[in-house]
Amino acid sequence: MGQFLLKRIFYGFLVLIGVIVINFFLFNILPGDPARMMLGQRADIASVEAINKDLGRDKPVLTQFFNYLNDLSPLSIHNAKNPESYWYLDPQKYTAFIKLIPVSKSSVLVLKEPYLRRSYQSKKQVGEILMEGFVNTIILAVVAMAFAIFFGIIIGIICAVKKNSFIDRASLVFSVLGMSLPSFFAAILMAWIFAFLLGRYTGLNMTGSLFSVDDFGRGEYLDLKNLILPAITLGIRPLAIVVELTRNSLLEVLSQDYIRTAKAKGLSNFRILMRHALKNAMNPIVTAMSGWLASLLAGAVFIEYIFDWKGIGLVIVNALEKYDFPVLMGAVLFISIILVIINILVDIIYGMLDPRVRVQ
Amino acid sequence: MKNIFYSVLILLMVLGCSRGPGKNGNKTVFRYNEAAGITSLDPAYARDQANIWATHQIFNGLVQLGDHLEILPCIAKAWAISSDGKEYCFHLRQDVYFHSTPVFPAGKGRRVVAADVLYSFSRITDPSVASPGSWIFNYVEKTGAKYSFLAPDDSTFIIRLKQPFPPFLGILTTLYCSVIPHEAVEMYGTDFRKNPVGTGPFQFMMWKEGVKLVLIKNPAYFEFENGSRLPFLDAVAITFLADKQSAFLEFVKGKLDFMSGIDPSYKDELLTRDGKLKPGFNSKFRLIAEPYLNTEYLGFLVDPEASTVKKNPVVNRKVRQAINLSFDRAKMIEFLRNNIGTPGLYGMIPKGMPSFDSTTIHYNYDPEKARKLLAEAGYPEGRGMPPVTLSTTSDYLDICKYLQYKAGEIGIEIRIDISPPAALKEMKAQAKLPFFRASWIADYPDAENYLSLFYGRNFSPQGPNYTHFKNPGFDQLYEKAMASVNDSVRFGYYRQMEKLIMEDAPVVVLYYDQVLRFVQNNVEGLGSDPMNLLTLKKVKKVVVN
Repeated sequence: MGQFLLKRIFYGFLVLIGVIVINFFLFNILPGDPARMMLGQRADIASVEAINKDLGRDKPVLTQFFNYLNDLSPLSIHNAKNPESYWYLDPQKYTAFIKLIPVSKSSVLVLKEPYLRRSYQSKKQVGEILMEGFVNTIILAVVAMAFAIFFGIIIGIICAVKKNSFIDRASLVFSVLGMSLPSFFAAILMAWIFAFLLGRYTGLNMTGSLFSVDDFGRGEYLDLKNLILPAITLGIRPLAIVVELTRNSLLEVLSQDYIRTAKAKGLSNFRILMRHALKNAMNPIVTAMSGWLASLLAGAVFIEYIFDWKGIGLVIVNALEKYDFPVLMGAVLFISIILVIINILVDIIYGMLDPRVRVQ
Repeated sequence: MKNIFYSVLILLMVLGCSRGPGKNGNKTVFRYNEAAGITSLDPAYARDQANIWATHQIFNGLVQLGDHLEILPCIAKAWAISSDGKEYCFHLRQDVYFHSTPVFPAGKGRRVVAADVLYSFSRITDPSVASPGSWIFNYVEKTGAKYSFLAPDDSTFIIRLKQPFPPFLGILTTLYCSVIPHEAVEMYGTDFRKNPVGTGPFQFMMWKEGVKLVLIKNPAYFEFENGSRLPFLDAVAITFLADKQSAFLEFVKGKLDFMSGIDPSYKDELLTRDGKLKPGFNSKFRLIAEPYLNTEYLGFLVDPEASTVKKNPVVNRKVRQAINLSFDRAKMIEFLRNNIGTPGLYGMIPKGMPSFDSTTIHYNYDPEKARKLLAEAGYPEGRGMPPVTLSTTSDYLDICKYLQYKAGEIGIEIRIDISPPAALKEMKAQAKLPFFRASWIADYPDAENYLSLFYGRNFSPQGPNYTHFKNPGFDQLYEKAMASVNDSVRFGYYRQMEKLIMEDAPVVVLYYDQVLRFVQNNVEGLGSDPMNLLTLKKVKKVVVN
């Protein structure tokens, strides 16, 4: 198992190297100059050059690439003496580092937190921007998932028990609608109905984040109600799927022999359903939902945009508009790392469940 | 299962009862949305409107702009310009204090002295700051890397220019020329962007990026109106909804006090065909529409040497003139822009600029004359003329399609090429586009700003002359105008220069833009100026409980 794990981690590392290389060169061959985007209409060549120098973009591409690698790598070499050097160990850039051993007169080997650089537009640390966005996206996705599973299972059970009733038929219609409704349209519809038209009764905001600030800046407060509409909207699609999966899987289980035996034993219907049928019916739902969580992280972009939820999707959209390369590169890398980690975890779980995977 | 049920139930109950904001008493707050988002509150990066509006509340410069673009005293109470127009001497007020913040000893704001002005201006020119505003001091005399900024005593500040440059006072009203304390920059470093300290009517309170920025009243602000100390508002709160449709709904609900500009998604909901507010909304809010110093135009690359336009018909002046005459600007504004803006009949200098001349119409709709010019150019009815490619961003596709249709009527085939903004900017600067969409927003309120787009020494990418227009007569007039401190003499030169440009037609002026502001009826004292600054120090808000 240990060897298997090491191999997986090594492959994951290779994938990341590939992502870093492609990422860097991709953003370097795009037409358009970020310095021009920062300058606007007054982009004379002197200002463009001054800004490119400040960003380290005046050097040959290969040098830039190695500087980028050096910034990213947790183990890196830096100049500790000369503040003019690009490699200078600047505490404004590298927030957490430990000097290990001196390599030459002025250079030292450093163990540091990877430096994703600063946003071209706001000059803010990219790591900071991404972490803020990522936490919000995770919260949104998890709550949406919880909503979908909780209500999906309840509705699914009702449909299975009252098979072919009006409720069953109606929920089927809603499931099909839920699955086929584009998320951006659903988002606008939800915001308009529940926050604009009915806002007086529901007290919900059309847009908002997890934390709000009052108009006089006296501090932040948790505004959990802002989570309701985006989470429900994001949860509609998985909800529809959970309903159908639960219903079908439960119907199948309920038709099996041991359920008939339980009935013959004189158990109440509720007890049969809760203790015997549901547990066995849950398997396909759990499998389907673990896959959905990952895609929810990605699918949240439109919903974040419309409800102005400050997640990673909104960060990427804004950065794309402004050619904010460090933020884009950081975001691509960040998402790749998460996917690699999820893949390794899945491989490990498969490996535990099925020994044949390990041998291969 | 039961446990899960109860925990979800509890979660839902918690969701329902989050703590709201505290009571505000009779305090007034002005709320607006900034869809573009603010990237920095450091005035050195106040390039776009979003940053300018926020920093404008926090900082002051030596001089400021009035509602009619007149230059008014601010931190400088008076100034003198030497007779050769090269030396500017400012006398500073003695009662201007920085905001009281922890960067100063005992948290008490220090008095502003001339050395602060010197520090602030030098910082803009510092390459390590890489300010997008470093160009503003291009006209200042330099010895080596040192600019001629002098602070002989606490209340006197002197700038020497290389050559006379009459619009210079206008440049000093830009936010780049804000006065900042060196203590704050030393303390916060790059984080000065989110910890700004200035002298303005409002001081920084808190900024949760992407959520809200709050500025509160500076109780010791130095300006008064009719004996009362400004500002009247207690706070300014700026939200950052990226979706303009959502922001519009918030405004209609009364959760925002002010909304600027209009998005196509709700244009017809709010405005009638002729650009008035629809009657149903009058009881809630009002519309302020004023000229905006923004010229929307299409540019031709007119340099016959450029490889991009070899054998391209746009190097022929008569073809350019024909395109200029081929479409109806008034109809275009009426049908595609709900009458927001003024048809661009009068040249490059936009309506609202002090030297704007509405008496000379250069190009109006005249298809007969256009056909004649086209024939003279050697393409009767467009025969034998290769198609012309017009490059634009998707935002202006409707206007370009209208021109394409109308030019087609007289026989000119236009192809439209849509590019992302970044790529369009780059190609335009590299002179790779024969015919492109562009706009120019005034950096400072002097027509020189527009005419410099045609000065022979400003060829892109070195300068902003994207059309590569070159005319020795024009360049001479430009230099003469720069040497005339007298406004009416200078404006005379400007008119001659404009005539030269329009005769050669390196541009198709589309329209002069308008500032559109929607303001709730309980807000008083909010005006509008052609530079589209948001000045909140005189705004009052009636609280309705």
